[in-house]
Amino acid sequence: MINEKPTLKSSLKAYLYLLPMLVISLTFNIWPIISSFLMSLYTKYNFYTDKVDAMGFDNFVYLWNDPDFHLAVRNTLVFVAGVVPVTVILSLIIALLLNQVKWLSGFFRTVYFLPFVTSTVAIAMVWNWIYHSDYGLMNYFMGLVGLHPINWLTDPHWSLLALIIMSIWKNLGFNIILFLVGLNNIDKGYYQAAEIDGANAWQRFWNVTIPMISPITFLVSVNGVIGSFKVFDQIFALFQGQPGPANADLTIVYYLYQKFYTEYKYPIAAASGVILFFLILLVTLVQLWYSRKHVHY
Amino acid sequence: MKVTFKDVTLSYDGKKDTLKNLNFTIPDGALVSLLGPSGGGKTTTLNLISGLLPATSGHIYFGDEDVTKKDALARKVGMVFQNYSLYPHLTVRDNIAFPLKMQKVSKAERYKRAEELAKLVHVDDQLDKKPAGLSGGQQQRVAIARALAKSPSLLLLDEPLSNLDARLRIEMRQEIRRIQQETGVTTIFVTHDQDEALHISDHIMVLSFGSIQQFSTPAELYERPSNLFVAKFIGEPVINSVPADVLRADLVESVPASVLAQAHTVGIRSEAIVPFDNGQGMVAKIHATLQQSQKYGRESTAYLTYNGQQLLSTELAGLPASQTEGDFFLTKAGFFLFNEQGALIFGGEAHDK
Repeated sequence: MINEKPTLKSSLKAYLYLLPMLVISLTFNIWPIISSFLMSLYTKYNFYTDKVDAMGFDNFVYLWNDPDFHLAVRNTLVFVAGVVPVTVILSLIIALLLNQVKWLSGFFRTVYFLPFVTSTVAIAMVWNWIYHSDYGLMNYFMGLVGLHPINWLTDPHWSLLALIIMSIWKNLGFNIILFLVGLNNIDKGYYQAAEIDGANAWQRFWNVTIPMISPITFLVSVNGVIGSFKVFDQIFALFQGQPGPANADLTIVYYLYQKFYTEYKYPIAAASGVILFFLILLVTLVQLWYSRKHVHY
Repeated sequence: MKVTFKDVTLSYDGKKDTLKNLNFTIPDGALVSLLGPSGGGKTTTLNLISGLLPATSGHIYFGDEDVTKKDALARKVGMVFQNYSLYPHLTVRDNIAFPLKMQKVSKAERYKRAEELAKLVHVDDQLDKKPAGLSGGQQQRVAIARALAKSPSLLLLDEPLSNLDARLRIEMRQEIRRIQQETGVTTIFVTHDQDEALHISDHIMVLSFGSIQQFSTPAELYERPSNLFVAKFIGEPVINSVPADVLRADLVESVPASVLAQAHTVGIRSEAIVPFDNGQGMVAKIHATLQQSQKYGRESTAYLTYNGQQLLSTELAGLPASQTEGDFFLTKAGFFLFNEQGALIFGGEAHDK
């Protein structure tokens, strides 16, 4: 069976088995991607009759000149740059600590994992209270160390930071679990060998843990970058259907949402989706290129 | 460097002693094997020397210095692990140079040293490869080079040959001997293979049940085992051990009565049962039936039955195949008597009175 040459008949049979999955993914994944790429090129388009009168790159020109879109790209990049590195570093640190704790480690793991299984809306409700300018925990703790209270959700200077903090907290749980798995997969023998070789705890961390965990770090950061570029639900829930005060939390996906659902500019929404696609592609390619040198499988 | 253990005890759980009151001195510059069955405490002893495990009580000295409280980092020994534990993300060159990098030796200098060591262990043509690209024997050589990189006063090897195939194992044990003699470093070698230990060691320490059964030269271990366990553990085929009562009547002439009275077990090496008196001193003559004989290459074995006990001999190859019984002689060398506790009371040249 294993060495059998594929014949026309056997290939057809195989395709037949694949057909149900192919139909579903073609209909709901591949076709929407193609149609949104096409839609981004429609310049005269009636959504209700699905009639295209003209095509061109006018939508991209529009985005190029739209200050709102510039703001959305800027906010998204700030968000990604704020969330991903801190999430990766913080979850690695917490995973390392959890790995050291023998007592109640299961309890702590559960606690850190909870945000991952909790609905974003519920999380946002809780953080809404934490960020409350008068009664919130955040301002209360800041008051304890002598800092002035901040209008986290209504001051445009701080609302993006508020969103970043909440997103980091929400992302931690899953990444900690991934890092814990990675840490447990490192053979203890390497640490013994490194200790014999004269590496102190810090040197063992840099020369054994970091290189050995690099595949997980890579996975976590690629996953984090893609997820953060697509941020939407946290904003919608935290600012009650607004992109923050004075558009301070307007991201590309939020921009896309606005163009599609409130302004009915479907081709513009599709064009911004295409730009998001290429942005993510570009960043992921850079990460892949970097991983060639620094990730050790 | 000389290594001394004084009343060292180790307990993993605080209840059961894995090692009990270990006392020994490993002389400077020697190659010493720790030999024994699995679970006998060999690797535990090695980890106590390396500092990876702290002793529960007792003292450990390197030379005259008490290192009991020092950890592996401070003891500065070199060690080769059973699965080598080469860093998979580093090249052979960087693996060998790693201990020097930890000492912050400059790059040029540590690479120079790595290349010298690679030459010593014959992997100088593999320097740019990663460990995954090497064969088992090459990984082993790299692991030895890495252990030697910081010029340790002690080289510890934890079952270094157990992951190699039979032929490579023989080659590598000669290599370890060669490298040890070239560098003169005191080497402690853990193995469960007596053949390995007997071939390369200056001294062998037999460990079992958490204590030292015997610590002596390979020849002495074989010719004068201090107890029944060592006699049974060392030697291939396994020594014949039969209850003393079976042979008591035959031994009256050659063994003092007071010794014979304490005898509980008789140990007879397979080569000590010969078909004729060769004039080198016999302890007994027995009339036994010859059961079966087999030949494997240059080895031949034959089973004799005497007083209902089966004895194995490797010296009966010359007898005609048709012979089914006859007189056989037990030579003085390779004949031992053990008392009820298993201690040697007769046999072995030095004990001969």
